[in-house]
Amino acid sequence: MTNSISEIEDADCVFIIGSNTSSSHPLVATRIFRAKKKGARIIVADPRTIQISSLADITVRHKLGTDVALLNGIMHVIIQRGWHNVSFVEERTEGFEAFSKGIENYPPEKVAEITGVDAGDIVRMAEIYAKAETGSIVYCMGITQHTTGVDNVKALANLAMLTGNVGRESTGVNPLRGQNNVQGACDMGGLPNVYPGYQPVNMMDIQKKFEKAWNAALSDKVGRTVPQMLTGLTDGSVKALYIVGENPIQSDPDTHHVKKALAAAELLVVQDIFLTPTAEMAHVVLPGTSFAEKDGTFSNTERRVMRVRQAIDPVGDSRPDWQIIQEVSNRFGYGMDYSSPEAVMREIASLTPSYGGITYERLEGEGLQWPCPHADHPGTRFLHEGMFSRGKGLFHPIEYRPPAETVDEEFPYWLTTGRVFAHYHTATMTRNSPTLDAEIREGYLEVHPDDADRLGVLQGDAVTVTSRRGTITAKTAVTDRVQQGLVFMPFHFIESNANVLTNPAHDPVAQIPEFKVCAVKLEKAPL
Amino acid sequence: MIEKVRERVRDLLSSGEVKGFLGLSNKYGNTGPHLFCDAEDLDGLVIGDWKGPGDARYTLNKQLIHIVRKYPDDVFGVLVRGCDDRGLKVLYTWNQLNPEKVIPVGIACSQDLADACECRKPYPDDFVAGEKVEGRASDSVARLDALDVAGRFEAWLKEFSKCIKCYGCRDVCPMCFCKECTLEDDRLVNNGVIPPEIPVFHLTRAVHMVGRCIDCGLCNEVCPADIPLRTLYKKVADIVDEEFQYRPGQELYAKSPLNILMQPSSTG
Amino acid sequence: MDYRTVLTTCTYCGCGCNFYLEVLDGQVIDTIPCKTHPVNEGKLCIKGWNVHEFIQSPKRLKRPLIRRDGVLTEATWDEALDYTVSGLKAIKDAHGSDSIAFLTSAKVTNEENYLLQKFARAAVGTNSVDHCARL
Repeated sequence: MTNSISEIEDADCVFIIGSNTSSSHPLVATRIFRAKKKGARIIVADPRTIQISSLADITVRHKLGTDVALLNGIMHVIIQRGWHNVSFVEERTEGFEAFSKGIENYPPEKVAEITGVDAGDIVRMAEIYAKAETGSIVYCMGITQHTTGVDNVKALANLAMLTGNVGRESTGVNPLRGQNNVQGACDMGGLPNVYPGYQPVNMMDIQKKFEKAWNAALSDKVGRTVPQMLTGLTDGSVKALYIVGENPIQSDPDTHHVKKALAAAELLVVQDIFLTPTAEMAHVVLPGTSFAEKDGTFSNTERRVMRVRQAIDPVGDSRPDWQIIQEVSNRFGYGMDYSSPEAVMREIASLTPSYGGITYERLEGEGLQWPCPHADHPGTRFLHEGMFSRGKGLFHPIEYRPPAETVDEEFPYWLTTGRVFAHYHTATMTRNSPTLDAEIREGYLEVHPDDADRLGVLQGDAVTVTSRRGTITAKTAVTDRVQQGLVFMPFHFIESNANVLTNPAHDPVAQIPEFKVCAVKLEKAPL
Repeated sequence: MIEKVRERVRDLLSSGEVKGFLGLSNKYGNTGPHLFCDAEDLDGLVIGDWKGPGDARYTLNKQLIHIVRKYPDDVFGVLVRGCDDRGLKVLYTWNQLNPEKVIPVGIACSQDLADACECRKPYPDDFVAGEKVEGRASDSVARLDALDVAGRFEAWLKEFSKCIKCYGCRDVCPMCFCKECTLEDDRLVNNGVIPPEIPVFHLTRAVHMVGRCIDCGLCNEVCPADIPLRTLYKKVADIVDEEFQYRPGQELYAKSPLNILMQPSSTG
Repeated sequence: MDYRTVLTTCTYCGCGCNFYLEVLDGQVIDTIPCKTHPVNEGKLCIKGWNVHEFIQSPKRLKRPLIRRDGVLTEATWDEALDYTVSGLKAIKDAHGSDSIAFLTSAKVTNEENYLLQKFARAAVGTNSVDHCARL
C-alpha cells in the first residue's frame, strides 16, 4: 500500500475495486465502515454484489476483465469535464499528453458497451472520486489476477495521479496483500530477479555487494518464476523443487498441469505444517512449525514489520523453518550459524536499505513501516510525498484488452474465483479449525436464479462445471450476488477444486495467472 | 493509583494468599492480560489506561475461568472495575467461578470513563484505588428511543448490515460461557454468509443478554464494524429492569427473571 | 502451572492484526485481540478469533517423512535431511544449479524467507526462487 490502513478512515472518498474487503481483509473494511460513518462517499466496482456494496454511494458490476475500459472511461470523463488536478499533473508527472490522447478513445457510451456499466454511473463515479479532497483507492486480486493485471494497476495509478490523489495522507493506490507475509516474502528477495530490498540480481555492484556479504559466487541470471518452474519440470530442465509452506496443487491454476509437473520432479521436497495435497506428492516432507512456535517477523500490507513471538514449543518433532533451512545449508556445505531469528534480522538490516533501521528492540509496540533506512528513522506511513521513486510520475497510456478466454457456445458461462470470510487460501489451517470448518464445510458454485432455472437446478443441487482444462462437481448456491451468465466459486475446497478449471494464461510482465476469468459450461449432475 | 494496586497485589502474593494475580501488564510495548506470580515482579502492572482512560480493558474474568477450570483448588486474585465486579457476581451465581477462590482487587473508574461508558455504577463494592464517582443513565439509549419505531429499526438494520460475523461480541463476553451457542445453530441462523441473517443473528444474541449483560461494553469495543452493541444491550437491560426490577450483577445470588420464569417447568 | 499471554501477529491475511495467544501449560487455549495495537485496535475477524484452534491440531505433521516404495514413511531428521541434501547435491552436480528451483513462502517469517533465498543463491547458485505473490 502507498498509504496506511488507518488513513483510509479519514478519506473523503474510498474507491474499492476488485476487493471483497469485508470477507478477505476484514480489518481494512473496518476503516471503510468508519470512513462511511464520517461522511465519505464509497464507490464499489466488482463483478459481484459484495457485502460492502450495500453501503456504497454507487456500486457497479462490470463484466469480468473489463477494468481497464472502466477506468479509462472514468478518466475520459474527468479530463473532458476538467475535473483533473492540473497543478499536480504539471508539477509531479510526465507523459500526460500521450496518455490523454489515448483516453479519448474511451467515451462513457463506448465503455458502457464493453463493461456493461451504465454510462451515467461512469460519470457519477468520475465526479465523486475526482472531486474528493482525499480519494483512496483500495484494490485486491480482482485487479491483479488477470492477463492484464499490470495494465489494470497502471490504470489505477493513472487515475490517482490524474486527480492528485497520491503522496498525501488518506489518498493513494492501496493494494491489499492477500497473504500475511507476502509483502515480506517479496521484501526478502523471494523473487527470481531481486535480492532483499528489490535489489536487482543482474546489477554488477549489487551482485558484488552480496557476494562479499555472503562469501559466495552469485549468478547474475534472473531465475525462474512459478509458471516457468512448472514448465521447466515438464520439459526436464528443472529436476528438483524445494517448496516451503506452499500448496500449488490447490493454489495454482490448472491443477492437472501442476500435478503433471510436480510428478515429473526427480526430487520434490516439501516443508510444511500439514500434509497438504502438495506434500502428499513429495519425496521427502520436512515438518516445519506454525507461527506460534517460533520467533521472527511478518510484514503486513501497509509495509509494517511486526514481531512474531514463540508461544509454545514446536509440536512433536517439528522444527522452526529457519532451523531446518540452516541445517540443510550446513549439510550442503554452505555454513550458516545464526543463533536466533534476531541474528538473521541483523544481517537483513545490514544488506537491505529499506530495512536498515529495523531491530527487534525497535519493533516492540507498533512495529515499523519501511522504508526505515537507519536507526533513528521513524518509518514511513505513506509513500511518494513530494516525489515518486523515479522522480516524476509517469502516465502510461493503457489500451483495453479482453481476457485470454471468453465465453462461446461450448463454454457459455463466465467463472470467477475468490475467498469466503471463514476460510483462508487453500484452507490448510482454517479447515483444521473446528469453528471455521463448522461455519462453511464445503465449496459451492454461486449461480444466478435465472441460470439455475435454465439448468433445472435448485439451491444445493450438484452441478458439474467444466472448462477447457477439467471438470469438477459442486453444490449450487442460487443467488443474485452474481449476474446472469456469471458464476463464482471459492477456491478453498479441494473436493471441488476451482483451480482444476482456472486458466493458467498469465500477465506477460508480472506472470500472474488469470484466476479471475475463464469460460465454463454447467450441467446438472446426475444424482 | 497504580501504587496502591501494586501494594495490595504484592501483599497477596508475598503472603501466599493467592497463587497468581490476573491483571494487565505493559509488555511488548502494548498493554494486555498477564498473570503475575511473583511479588517482586510487578513493575509492568497497569490498570489499562493506554491513550485514554480504560481504553485497554480486557475480559480478565473470562481468562480467570480458563485458569480455574484446570486449577479449581487454587485461589487467584483478579483486577476488577465496577463492571467486572458485577460480572463476578453473575459468574458466582451461575457457578462459573467460586467466590472462595477469587480475591478481587478493585479500582474505581474516573469520571471520564464513567461518562464514556454511561455506567450506572463505575466502581466495585470494594476498591483499593480511585475515587467513587457518580454513575449515570444512558444518553445513547435515550437518543434511539426518541426515534419512532421505523426509524429505530432502520438505524439498527443499517448497523447490522456491516456485521462480518466474527462472533467477537460473543467471544469477548465474560457472560458467554455456554458450551453450545445458539448463534452457531444452522437451523436458527444460516451459516456461511455475511452479513449474517438480519436481524435474527443480532436479536438472538440480544435476547440471550437478558439477565446476563453486566454492561462492560467490551463487545462494542471489539466490533470490527463499530456496531453500537452496548447501546442495544443497555436497552435490553432497561426493559428487564422495568418489567422485573432486575439488573445483572447488582446482588450476589440474585436470580435472573428468566430463571424464575423457568421454575414451574423445571420442578414439574 | 505455566500461564502466559504472548503477543504475536496473525498468520492469515495481509492486515497483520496483533493478538495475545493464551497459553496454559503448553496448550494454546484462546486468542485475545490486542487493544493497543494500531492495526486492529482490539478487533479481529472470525479467522483471527479462532487462530488458536489449528495450531495443535492432531493432524499436524510431527515427524519427517520419506517416500519409500511409493509410500511416505516416518523417518528421523538425520535421514530426512541427508536425503534432501544428497538429492540436491546429486542434481546440482549432474544438471547444474539452475536445474533446482525453490518456492519460498508468504506464510513463513521474513527471516526464513531471507535464509531460503540465501541458500538458493549462495549455496545452490540459482536465482530460481519465487512464491505465491501472484496467487
